[in-house]
Amino acid sequence: MSAGWQKFWRGLTGKNMRALLLFAWGSAIIWELYKYLGRLFDDRIPLLGIGFPVRSSNVSMPHVWSILGAFFQKTNRASDEVLVTTLFGQAMVTLRVTIVGFTLGVVVGMLFAILLVTIPSLERALLPWVVASHTIPLVAIAPMVMIWGGRSGLPIWFPIAIIAAFLCFVPVTINALRGMKSPTNVRVELMRSYAARRHQRLMYLQLPSSLPHLFGGLKIAATASVVGALVGELSAGTGTGLGRTILNFTYYYMSGPEKLYATIIFSGLVGILFVKFISLIEYLACRKTQQGAKGRHT
Amino acid sequence: MMQESAQRAIEIDSVTKVFEAVGMEPVIAVQDVSISIEAGEFVALLGPSGCGKSTILRMIGDLTAPTRGEVRVHGKSARQAREDHDYGMVFQEAALFDWRTTARNIELPLKILGMDRSERAMRVQEMLELISLTDFANHYPWQLSGGMQQRVAIARALSVRPKLLLMDEPLGALDEMNREHLQNEFLDVWTKTRTTTVLVTHSISEAVFLANRIFIMSPRPGRVVKVIMSPLPYPRTAETRRDPQFFEVESEVREALHGVIRDKALDV
Repeated sequence: MSAGWQKFWRGLTGKNMRALLLFAWGSAIIWELYKYLGRLFDDRIPLLGIGFPVRSSNVSMPHVWSILGAFFQKTNRASDEVLVTTLFGQAMVTLRVTIVGFTLGVVVGMLFAILLVTIPSLERALLPWVVASHTIPLVAIAPMVMIWGGRSGLPIWFPIAIIAAFLCFVPVTINALRGMKSPTNVRVELMRSYAARRHQRLMYLQLPSSLPHLFGGLKIAATASVVGALVGELSAGTGTGLGRTILNFTYYYMSGPEKLYATIIFSGLVGILFVKFISLIEYLACRKTQQGAKGRHT
Repeated sequence: MMQESAQRAIEIDSVTKVFEAVGMEPVIAVQDVSISIEAGEFVALLGPSGCGKSTILRMIGDLTAPTRGEVRVHGKSARQAREDHDYGMVFQEAALFDWRTTARNIELPLKILGMDRSERAMRVQEMLELISLTDFANHYPWQLSGGMQQRVAIARALSVRPKLLLMDEPLGALDEMNREHLQNEFLDVWTKTRTTTVLVTHSISEAVFLANRIFIMSPRPGRVVKVIMSPLPYPRTAETRRDPQFFEVESEVREALHGVIRDKALDV
């Protein structure tokens, strides 16, 4: 277990995280450079006279230090909380919805994959629809789910979790299905020679073989569930969560643009943390056999 | 007559296998082959590639069905024999399950059989001793050499104490040194268990060293052209390889095989 946490810690502090910090740092420099050039040339490309795509004013593009400083300003005039405290509180709301939605999506996605692998004719019939369902614009169905959920007597945040789950289940189903079909012929025939029943083949061969593929899907699902939760919160009547906070700061943009940027950055960090958490579970589940995938195969 | 055939371990009765694919000429993989094998025999199917030897093995093991004819195993249909856990199979690829240790790989068929935990543990221990890999019980497949993996595959196949051991070029992926070493081990294991064994191979010396009967096969269409008895007494050891009788049998087999190749050389 401790090795797992070490790995998790290394994941947060190691090469990837350093690359991420470098990327953030580089972006900040380019941001400020753009602002500097914009002020110097009055937002027009010299000689050509073409305007810059975005105005470099402090309203359109607040200084990096203003954005960072916004974390420690009061959230609004009426409150005595600083923004970062508010964001942590709202992140807890969003994370609850995200985790419930993610779990629901993964369970439904896995069950669906098992159903499709058990009845192959169903796969040909249903899989195209599953993939197509993923292309439905989320913003269009979110209000509908809210209306349905409003009458169901479930907690008010539950419909948001449904939306997050809806975004999750497709990558889970597709990757789990591919994983369950990955065992080589020889392994399938071995199970046949043991006279393994269908559920035994599933338990002892197909599900374990699906793990490496499944975790690829889970990482996509993790980001999708965060997006689902954020978008779901926009149309929900709950009035809380990071999605709602983003919306609020959009309304009051002129009085504090840096707060919106700070909230967006914070939401991004929440998403990254969630994906990192899935990577940790993947490491714990596959560490014994991971070497095998890299090493020899006879 | 029925009584007699029921006693036989394997009875292959004028079996033909035709592979058909859309838009292609049907391929006759096996034509009118009849073989009967007594319990406790070690039999080799030997021939050039494409002679249908693997197909015969797969029909015995109910991995594919004959187009015509019948396979009976201890008087039962191949399917029934498979359902009764009568088979242990070993392929060229060890195909161990990467996420299971040596011990847990050997345990898997027992688990599927429904054997209880304490009995499984005892059987696994016994199998590990049989293949002399007790020290590697908790290693994962990627930590084992190719030869070790193949030994685990054999232990896994024998764990259910099958009536038949079916092996399809089990040493095909190993180098010459490892092959001979493992042939000795196979024979050692077989001498202890006396499991009826069918071995598919294209190595002459392997067939002669291991088997008591060798079926020479010819391709296009796959047929048995000759059956050669190997009178070398068991237990055979590394010494047996230097026995003049070993060379005698080996050259008899080689001659028979060359006849097969010569006859077919014109239409290759």
